[in-house]
Amino acid sequence: MKKLLTLTAALLLALAYAQPVKIGILSPLTGGAAGTGQAQKAGFELALEEINAAGGVLGEPLEIIIEDTQATPAVALAAFEKLMTEDEVEFIGGGFSSGVTLALVESFRTFQPLVTWIGGAVSGVGIDGFDGIEELLGNEPWFFHIHPWDYQNTAAANAFIASTGVETVGLLHEDSAFGGPGAATSEAVIESQGIDVTLREAFKSTLFGGAGDFRATISKAAATNPDMLYWIGYDSDVLPMTSQVRELNFTPQYIFGTPPGWPTDFAAAPEAECVAGLIGFLPNLPTAEAQAFTEAYTAMHGSEPDNYMAALAYAQLWAYADAINTAGTTEQDAVIAALENGSFRSPMGEWSFGSSEITSRQGFDESMWLVFQYQDGKREIVYPPEKATAPLRSCR
Amino acid sequence: MDLTLLLQGIVSGILASGLYALVSVGLALAIGVIGIVNFAHGEFFMVGAFITYQLFISFGFDPVISLFFVAPTLFLLGGAIYQSSIRYVLKAPELNQMLLTFGISIILQNLALLIWGGDPRTISSVAYRSIGYQLGGVSIGLVPLASFLISLVIVGSLYYALLKTPAGRAMRAVAQNRMGASLIGLEVNRVYLVTFALSALLAGLGGVMIAVIQSPTPIVGFAFTLKAFAIVVLAGLGNIRGILWASLVVALSESLVATLVPNGDALRNAVFFAIIFVVLIARSRRLA
Repeated sequence: MKKLLTLTAALLLALAYAQPVKIGILSPLTGGAAGTGQAQKAGFELALEEINAAGGVLGEPLEIIIEDTQATPAVALAAFEKLMTEDEVEFIGGGFSSGVTLALVESFRTFQPLVTWIGGAVSGVGIDGFDGIEELLGNEPWFFHIHPWDYQNTAAANAFIASTGVETVGLLHEDSAFGGPGAATSEAVIESQGIDVTLREAFKSTLFGGAGDFRATISKAAATNPDMLYWIGYDSDVLPMTSQVRELNFTPQYIFGTPPGWPTDFAAAPEAECVAGLIGFLPNLPTAEAQAFTEAYTAMHGSEPDNYMAALAYAQLWAYADAINTAGTTEQDAVIAALENGSFRSPMGEWSFGSSEITSRQGFDESMWLVFQYQDGKREIVYPPEKATAPLRSCR
Repeated sequence: MDLTLLLQGIVSGILASGLYALVSVGLALAIGVIGIVNFAHGEFFMVGAFITYQLFISFGFDPVISLFFVAPTLFLLGGAIYQSSIRYVLKAPELNQMLLTFGISIILQNLALLIWGGDPRTISSVAYRSIGYQLGGVSIGLVPLASFLISLVIVGSLYYALLKTPAGRAMRAVAQNRMGASLIGLEVNRVYLVTFALSALLAGLGGVMIAVIQSPTPIVGFAFTLKAFAIVVLAGLGNIRGILWASLVVALSESLVATLVPNGDALRNAVFFAIIFVVLIARSRRLA
């Protein structure tokens, strides 16, 4: 009887150890940011297939549970609590939207799972009276951030702006937690370079209930006659913004936008010509890692990755798999150490966690960003010079 | 304030009012004739936009041609939704009706997500989208102008039909007194069916126009549903005749706030919420 009990206990223990590792993913699969969420999902699916084909995690196939946040704080909170209490995951991935991330801060602190988080770029650094994500979570040992912070985005954008030689910039931005603080930081950084910001004006993004009529805002910018129109908004703002700039006969030398993604088929639209943008990944990035990712992604999903969130999601899941395998356990401290000390694969090249203004667990910085310009129906990389596939063209 | 900027704001507001009227008049029909507050109205608009996109992708149809395909499709879709669900809740409490239409809205949004995905789509080769005519420093966009004129023609035709045709008279009769209309031999349910289908058709035509100037997404109808509610409230619930001037007031107010107030574009939604607030308070006080 005693032997039988011991055998049963051993069997149960073995079964417990054989449980696949589960990673809970929070991503906006529906709602206004669904394009980003679906891109993340596609990146996770590719990484998951590769990870499991390579032997999985701790000898078992890796499992991911994707919960839809709808990029809405209340929905994200419920989804996170479901992952923690019902699915009992130990690791959280995915991530998008600073507003959602800020809403999750207290719940993260309550449960303290290991979190690696894409998006949520509002750091709070340099903004008085506002606590941003890096300020709130940057010193938590279980929080890893996988996306440049707003000031790193600004640094990348500003480096490009300065490289063009413009003297004046009109700055339009959407008014949420993404565009508002981003524009405030941008204005300060641009002016510190001796470039005059002729106007900083907010607009209501189509993602948050705006109807896409930006004529009043664009007219105000046009009245200041800047050399460059720089706008911070979302994917769905791209077409109305660029078409209305032309309809209003506003012809700045450069039109530069930094939405998280760009609309499907926009490259073929006449309004796209000469529009420049900031992006984390492009399929024509001339590196072996980028080409391999693009080929595998295209084979799985039938089209090239046109949203850099797919590349970041891919990098995030592979980082988890490699770190847990290196740690040889799912014990949190060991995986944290493996994440802190490891170096990981990504379509953007090899990467590791390093330091930013507050945190020492920051993945990717301003060097991730590429500036592209729509030229003759294609997205050519125009900055930084060492990655450029074509020179920058003037819109005039 | 630069006078040109002010004039541009006025012109933009006036031109935007046409599309607002087109979307709102369908909602006003549903409320005024059937007595149902349709939260899925914006989704008919969204479906119209996506059908326009699909016709362009599959057959290269210009959105102007798509108007003739979207209209019957949305009429049939509206009719099918009425027959399969709406008619069963006409006598139910208003909350149940609202929950049903809210559910239909979620279903349509998610169907669009399944079919077209969440990425904003673009009808790429529309050469006329960015054309603007310059008059004394003020730009008049070809697409906003055409959309304004088309909307005026459609809404004008609807007014004419309501006043002068037997079907229109039947709608008005049912709107005024359902029981009375039934007693004089009108088939009330058929009138409701046609009204709901027509309401979907009008929203769908608005969707065609938005597909040209914006990137259709599954939530593209949301902003216009909100505006339509503000306009319907301003015109008086179910008052179809008041829709034109109410659309003009809302569109012009938004445009002038966006033009005259620093960061005013971000206050556009506050404008129509303020209109709803003021109108409801004023009407309540008058009733009291």
